[in-house]
Amino acid sequence: MITREEAQKLCQQALSLTSFPECHATLTSSEQAYTRFANNGITTASFNLRHSLSIVVTREGRSGSVSVNDLDLPSLKNAMKQAEELAAIAPVNSERLPALGPQEFPATFDLDERTAAARAPEMIPHVKTIIDAALQEKMVAAGLIERTHRVTTIANKAGLFGYHRSSDSQLTTTIRQRDGSSSGWAGQPSMKLAALDSPSLARTAIEKCKRWKNPQKLTPGNYTVVLEPTATGDLVRLITNGFSARNTEEGRTFLSKRGGGSLLGEKVFPEFVTLRMDPFDPRQPSSPWTNDYLPNRAITWIDHGKIANLAYDRYWAWKTGQPATPAASSFGRGAGSLIMEGADATLQQLIASVERGLLVTHLWYIRPVNPQTLQQTGLTRDGLFLIENGEITTPVMNMRFLESPVRLLKNTQRLGQAVRVRGLEGGIMIAPALIAKDFPLPSISDAV
Amino acid sequence: MFTRRQFIASAALAERLFAAPKESKLPNPELEKLADSALRQAKKLQATYCDIRIVRLRDQRVSLRVTTERGTGRLLSVPGVAEDSSFGFGVRVIVNGAWGFAASPVVTPEEIARITGEAVVIAKANATIQPRPVRLAPVKAYRDRWVTPHDKDPLNVPMGEKIDLLTRVTSEVKKNVKVFSGAASLSLRSEDKYFASSEGSSIQQYLLQIYGNVDATAVDREKNLSRSRSYVPTQASAGWEYVPEMNLEENAQRIREEVLEHLAAPPVRPGKKDLLLMPNHLMLTIHESVAHPTELDRALGYEANYAGTSYITPDKIGRRIASEHCTFIGDRTSPRALGTCGYDDDGVKATSFTIIDKGIFKSFQTTRDQAHLIGEKESHGCSQADSWATVPFQRMPNVWMQAGPRDVTLEKMISEIDDGVLIDGRGSYSIDQQRYNFQFGGDAFWEIKGGKKRGMISRVSYQARTPDFWQACDATAGQSYWRQYGTTGDAKGEPTQINSISHGCSPTRFRNIDVILTD
Repeated sequence: MITREEAQKLCQQALSLTSFPECHATLTSSEQAYTRFANNGITTASFNLRHSLSIVVTREGRSGSVSVNDLDLPSLKNAMKQAEELAAIAPVNSERLPALGPQEFPATFDLDERTAAARAPEMIPHVKTIIDAALQEKMVAAGLIERTHRVTTIANKAGLFGYHRSSDSQLTTTIRQRDGSSSGWAGQPSMKLAALDSPSLARTAIEKCKRWKNPQKLTPGNYTVVLEPTATGDLVRLITNGFSARNTEEGRTFLSKRGGGSLLGEKVFPEFVTLRMDPFDPRQPSSPWTNDYLPNRAITWIDHGKIANLAYDRYWAWKTGQPATPAASSFGRGAGSLIMEGADATLQQLIASVERGLLVTHLWYIRPVNPQTLQQTGLTRDGLFLIENGEITTPVMNMRFLESPVRLLKNTQRLGQAVRVRGLEGGIMIAPALIAKDFPLPSISDAV
Repeated sequence: MFTRRQFIASAALAERLFAAPKESKLPNPELEKLADSALRQAKKLQATYCDIRIVRLRDQRVSLRVTTERGTGRLLSVPGVAEDSSFGFGVRVIVNGAWGFAASPVVTPEEIARITGEAVVIAKANATIQPRPVRLAPVKAYRDRWVTPHDKDPLNVPMGEKIDLLTRVTSEVKKNVKVFSGAASLSLRSEDKYFASSEGSSIQQYLLQIYGNVDATAVDREKNLSRSRSYVPTQASAGWEYVPEMNLEENAQRIREEVLEHLAAPPVRPGKKDLLLMPNHLMLTIHESVAHPTELDRALGYEANYAGTSYITPDKIGRRIASEHCTFIGDRTSPRALGTCGYDDDGVKATSFTIIDKGIFKSFQTTRDQAHLIGEKESHGCSQADSWATVPFQRMPNVWMQAGPRDVTLEKMISEIDDGVLIDGRGSYSIDQQRYNFQFGGDAFWEIKGGKKRGMISRVSYQARTPDFWQACDATAGQSYWRQYGTTGDAKGEPTQINSISHGCSPTRFRNIDVILTD
């Protein structure tokens, strides 16, 4: 493990190699161990180490950026020379602000030492539990168990310095009937590898697979849906892409008003909808600093249905006289700390309250159709069920959806308990199960 | 995790290792010596197979975005000028019939031996849950060197020349003040890759890729509407001499006008329509609905937890899955295509093979450890990893569609459409995990009425079921219309790996497809 002192020394060495007035260094070091399985056996497993140093030098508004993973002195000197040469010929960046000086970064609680060091002996028993459970049911298991350990160090010539270690883990499984006639999925991201519950995940995926056998065709149309927490996270995280103050003021987001202005402060969603970011929440790792290297902080985007904040990067904050905020983005540093508040109802209680609707396990291949309205398309996957009079009655063939998270939240009627989720598209957040009306499902998919 | 001592232990080897003259036909002996550390250690630890890849990736990116500042009318420029490089090695072993893999960026004989030991430990652990031992299809041992054909290495062209080009291009886009923002970028990548195996292969390759694009965005604040138009030239595995062929400036002028037309374009009237899909659009439909479903690992369930399985299963070999106008070739030898190379990451020599012949499914994409699963004796050379730090697995080669007869022209195909849409460029795309149900948008759309191409329309997507869609193909234009385009973000595997490949085709017509109105 590279220590804070060692990382600082390496960064300072890099910074000392340039005569440019501004230089920013980001040193990342990561370690990943994973085991993949399919067809009831392990297919690939890896242990890999990576590191890189990214240098950005700036003079008179012109910047050059170089990233290398050869970190001996001659290589660093060469990288710095390259960055300076790039900066010398780069056009002036009209939106560049002076480098930040020293910052007080808050402590975020993002590391579990046992997870950070885990290898095959801690991981393979989880794989064996799932495969054994599948074999017992004459089913076929596939999945992934993974843990990561990452160290990030930032430093600049103006005295900025930050050092951050984080770890994370996940276990997901898809269990299918041998004849391919049904499929079930379960997944759990966890800050602590020791908290991964492979018996429970195996049970959930097997139960879904059993219940989803011989799915029936349902007429395409708009349905009331119960989204399980992973499905909620798959879609809701994408709403953050609409919160950029700049894009909103330029008339390019769902929060832009016709003719100018924004919906900031207006009530757009039901009272029970609250969406926020909290880098100090111990359930998920985050970052002590924002994309602009300002101290990270908690921020609420939607407060009881009202648009509470827009996201200002340093440039737009400076230009408009507003305070800079963490970035609102479904990817990047802020994404890991997104939280949609839930309620007390269990998934069973939500299902019991629906007269006719569909239970959605999770969503797949979600892509933006309209970046302004945030309309998305994608498909249901690994378990779609008809709910009638409060009970699951019939497995239903997968369907394509065409919906924006904006309309979804406007149409949300009730929330369930919130848990940490990680969808197949990589989105991580804390999300509740929810009931929403009029969810558009315009076509049927034959996929199992 | 690394200590600082390990961090700086790696000397600046990459330059020396890969700097041998490109006309040399043999790998650098220093690379062979390093690889030997892995092969000897693996043998000592009783591995029955070992390979090592020593790789240096370089990526040069130049971008420029120009926006008009509201109120002052001043032009705000945000340039990006960056170079990234990454150097390291990965070792694969088979022990007790199971794969193991480990990787490190510290390229020294000692670290190579240590990491080989790590891979052996992983393989032994994996062997405890291994239903059947890994079997590799035979391959010849090669000692060779392969270089992307090029005259001028694009990474050695002065950065100033690249910035000047993008400055001219964005200026063209912004010449019309109604265009809100213009952006352009160039990306130039190289991969130095050395492969050695315990079966005697020693292969050094140098692969090049060039990407460019131009974007224009227009905003109507009164209608609260924002639209874009892009020009994405063929992404190519080529030298700098290809860049003038991209015609970035000329096309910047075109999209500057088309983005305004797009902003004012009326919405499509949804319903069943004929589609005329241009190569820069159809390439992605081919990628998603032909190339992915014919990957053998999907078909056999190895990607069930993420990318999914496939509607094309081994029992479909010899059966019709598309109309007679549809012939598709898997090909790692196509000139200038992004997936073209000398050898794959199993050390199999690049080849081409027929996937679909006049609508009849012929063969899957395979790797050495898969071929025997469907009774085949050799691999189709489809093994690839996206970095030295990732495990090679089955990735698609370039997959292209054969052109139609010479007398089938774009004009003729349009004249035979009563109610249709011509779609150009890439838009939104989504397909299910068995590749049945898909929805595609595009970058720009023109209405076809009564056999004539009319004005631009907007908010178009089409949905179809893959087998029905390809059965509905009734014409594809002749060879003079054939173009290939690349995709650079093909994601597959867990943890996800990203691949770049090209798909070629001519403008192609599909009858009676569901066209929908989107936001």
